[in-house]
Amino acid sequence: MDKAEAIVAALGGAENIIEVEPCATRLRTEVKDATVVDEPALKAAGAYGVLKMGTNVQVVVGTDADTIASDIEDLLEEE
Amino acid sequence: MTARIVSPVAGKVVGLPGVPDPVFAEGMVGPGTAVDPDRGPGVAVAPISGVVQKLHPHAYVIVDAEGRGVLVHLGIDTVKLDGEGFQLLTEEGAHVAAGAEIVRWDAGAIEQGGRSPVVPVIALDAPADRVTVTGADYVHTADPLFTWE
Repeated sequence: MDKAEAIVAALGGAENIIEVEPCATRLRTEVKDATVVDEPALKAAGAYGVLKMGTNVQVVVGTDADTIASDIEDLLEEE
Repeated sequence: MTARIVSPVAGKVVGLPGVPDPVFAEGMVGPGTAVDPDRGPGVAVAPISGVVQKLHPHAYVIVDAEGRGVLVHLGIDTVKLDGEGFQLLTEEGAHVAAGAEIVRWDAGAIEQGGRSPVVPVIALDAPADRVTVTGADYVHTADPLFTWE
């Protein structure tokens, strides 16, 4: 499983993800249900840290955030 | 060899704990420092000589010949401005010297828009003990900011 797939799974799967937007160092995501977000799995997937504010979950992935976000968008479109 | 990282902007050196964003304040993406920039129109420059690896309107990464990447982030939450108020003066893949002009912006306009214009300068993925920040309280653009062993 590549990084994008691992992050999607840890965020509760494609059906739980409303939006993913890249910033310079992080993915800004909005999810339907934040309680199913698996922080240890996000860290295992390479995240430096995770910030949760309600249903907004920021996954700190480093400066490849734009590449990872576009990989995730490709995955979400396949669903 | 020790790299000398210069300040991308002029302003007060406030350190990472002075950044109102936990990703930078807690050093999640690396150690470094932050500069509270002089308000008004200005040009942010390259903190190190190397290749422009990433160039967003509000943030950029320069990687030196030894693979050290330095991130400059112009203000906090500025991704939400969608590039408005930022003018890119180079492109990804360009070779630049330390001090080369990278982005024209206006720290005062960012602040008037309700966001912090503070500029974190990050030694990406560096161990914290390899970075030594200048003791200066104030830096001019391209003044020494920190060293990275």
